[in-house]
Amino acid sequence: MDTTVSDTKSSIDRRALAAVFVRLGAFAALGIILLYFAIYARGFTSSFNLQNVVEQSVILTILAYGMTVVFIGTGTDVQKGGIDLAVAANAGLSGAVFVTLLNLGWPEPLAVLAAIFTGMAMGFLNGLAVVVFRMIPLLATLAVMNIASGLELTITENNVIGVSSEFLSTLQFGRFLGISALAWVLIVFTIFVAFLMHYSPFGVRLYAVGGFPEAARAAGLNVGRNIYFSYIFSGFCAGFTSILIVSRLSASTLGTGLLLLPVLAAALLGTVFSRRFVPTIGGTLIASLFVGFLANGFQLLGVSSYWVSGVQGALILLVVALTSFAKKSEGA
Amino acid sequence: MSDIAIDMRGISKQFGPVKALENVDLQVRKGSVHGIVGANGAGKSTIIKILAGIYRLSDGEVEIDGKPIDTITPASIEKEGVHFIHQDRLLVPTATASEAVFLNNEPRVGPFLNARRMKREAVELIKKHFQVEIDPDTLVRDLSAAQQKIVQISRALANKAKVLVLDEPTAALVAAEVTSLFGVLRALRDDNIAIVFISHYMQEIMDICDDVTILRNGENAGNVVPAESSIEEIVALMVNRDTSEMYPRRTAEIGEPVLQLENGTRVGHFENVDVEVHKGEVLGLTGLLGSGDKQLLKCMFGLDQFDAGTFTLNGNRRQFGSPAEAVKAGLAMIPEDRRAHGVAVDLSVSDNISIASINSHSNNGYVDTKSEANMVNGLIAELGVKTPDRFLPVRNLSGGNQQKVVVAKWLSCESSVYLLDDPTVAVDVGAKVEIYNLINRLAGEGKGIIFVSSDLEETVEMCDRILVMYRGRIVGKYQRGEIDSDQLLAVASGASTDIREVP
Repeated sequence: MDTTVSDTKSSIDRRALAAVFVRLGAFAALGIILLYFAIYARGFTSSFNLQNVVEQSVILTILAYGMTVVFIGTGTDVQKGGIDLAVAANAGLSGAVFVTLLNLGWPEPLAVLAAIFTGMAMGFLNGLAVVVFRMIPLLATLAVMNIASGLELTITENNVIGVSSEFLSTLQFGRFLGISALAWVLIVFTIFVAFLMHYSPFGVRLYAVGGFPEAARAAGLNVGRNIYFSYIFSGFCAGFTSILIVSRLSASTLGTGLLLLPVLAAALLGTVFSRRFVPTIGGTLIASLFVGFLANGFQLLGVSSYWVSGVQGALILLVVALTSFAKKSEGA
Repeated sequence: MSDIAIDMRGISKQFGPVKALENVDLQVRKGSVHGIVGANGAGKSTIIKILAGIYRLSDGEVEIDGKPIDTITPASIEKEGVHFIHQDRLLVPTATASEAVFLNNEPRVGPFLNARRMKREAVELIKKHFQVEIDPDTLVRDLSAAQQKIVQISRALANKAKVLVLDEPTAALVAAEVTSLFGVLRALRDDNIAIVFISHYMQEIMDICDDVTILRNGENAGNVVPAESSIEEIVALMVNRDTSEMYPRRTAEIGEPVLQLENGTRVGHFENVDVEVHKGEVLGLTGLLGSGDKQLLKCMFGLDQFDAGTFTLNGNRRQFGSPAEAVKAGLAMIPEDRRAHGVAVDLSVSDNISIASINSHSNNGYVDTKSEANMVNGLIAELGVKTPDRFLPVRNLSGGNQQKVVVAKWLSCESSVYLLDDPTVAVDVGAKVEIYNLINRLAGEGKGIIFVSSDLEETVEMCDRILVMYRGRIVGKYQRGEIDSDQLLAVASGASTDIREVP
């Protein structure tokens, strides 16, 4: 028996060591890349640029929170578990609804609620497809993504629709205590989601549902309801973000769906920054800012923006390969 | 308030047309450890899953602590204080130990999780009941099997469990851990908690249980008090068969040789092996893992090739390049790995059985459904396959019955020699006897049978002659009655080389 005991112990040690190595490696890579940009990319460290990057990253980060909550509640195995491919297209649709209603003369609060409701409705559709119709999330949310972008095209007739209002320009240009309104939105939203996921009993249960649904069910949790919540919350994030997008551009434009790749990259990369290699709000925040700085640094270095998309794709491949490799060695 | 914690009466459960439980009663007293035993497929796990709300019962009544319960769901049964310690350690691997203990019952301050109290209470709870310390921040996946079991039971205790149901709790534990688990269970019993204990290990049932309910074929087979009973009595109730009748007698007449192998050699597996099987004879072939016995069967059946030797079947020298040729020449093989070469679960019982012999039931390309049906129904009756009719998809059968279908499939081809590779491995006692009867029937029809088995007692009891292989050579030849299973083990393991030639 002695040998088996020491065997399990040493394998745990090895795994713990590998985990520490990967996490330190991730932080080191992050540091090196930022340092490189600081030295070689002119203007990278200027306070204007740093604020600019954070503001640009707000949209990405909140969408990535939606994706993160879906990962938490429906399983971190992207290939079998949950994913919300519709989140970015959903934000586009919600934005189109928002702008159209404002131009029809709806009061702002109502239009905001309608946009958020649109996002949540699409999230509900995702949940329905996954929970009731038992579709694999990859396919279900891909279909909903197409529905969302199709509806967006129908509403906007493929046009950029401009809009302006006092509320939107406050959101865009307002400052408080020297920090821009957008950055405040990010701070408040982050505290809210972090509380919900990491400091409430609800979060513990959502992690349990995603971690091992059978065990959660045996513990008396309603697994289906938690999965519904994940997708509807992701839809809420999409609807909420659509207002920020509209305020930033003073218009609803097509192409929000292109945010999917960086959002996915950020949410996946975020798992590397957590102790248990699970999606966390803190990890996703670091990863989204990193993705934002990466794009910004490349821009300042004069690297073609086409490369950015390639690098994000490579990041996704790397992180997914790394985590599924880690899982395999765990099983052995 | 009543003395009975769990009262299940007249419980029946059907899966499609298959009856898994019929009119089963189960009464568990407060402050007692109640064992449930039964062979595979007797209905132990079904009744537990009904109590856990995983299956809906088809008929019957359930009372918990004297209170009738209409519909059971996993969430509602926990509210009644009934907690399940599942065999497969249903825990979230990425949760910490303290999160797992308090899942769905987390201590909080206002809307916040009180993580500090949660950790402290988890440590205290575990220490109080188990006298061990577990770091509350350790992830569940990094805990040992025994520690995970402790976390599972602690979760039930944190939820103020009145009834604990343990399904095979000792499966992954070593002896010392079992002893300390039993100490914990006795302490809980003295706190008036009712404990339901399911185990395959009879000695554990005798040691820990105050009452035992025995299930057989989905029905009550009796209740006994271990203190006033014996393992033999309980086992007899489980199988309802005197163990001396396990091996039915055979009256087959042994005729002329039907299969002969001289100097059979497969480099690296066996060399210079002589085998002769007569009509109506059961030849046992046994040896430890890697002795070459299984490879020998493969070479005969065309799954592998002899390097040297003379192989004769029905008087003709043969060398089969593939199993298809072997089947055509009159060989049949029941492979050991039924999962890989097993059943097509979505096809009917009938299709699965007749798939290997469909050509003998067809005229000019048309299937003669009448003759197919006769053959299939005959085999279903003979093997005792528990199915309402032959059109049921094999998926709806229990594991043991699926295995019978695989056996029936190969028996449906009319062959002259049957090669059986461990046909009773992982089959319950009842199904074993049916397979023995079948072997006897084949012998009675004048078939030759080579019976490879890792069960030495079965080999001794069932075979007319026994060949023992050791490191690729035949090291012992015995007639029925010349050797018992202990001596056989000594020869097979190379401890004894008492070779006796058959006269």
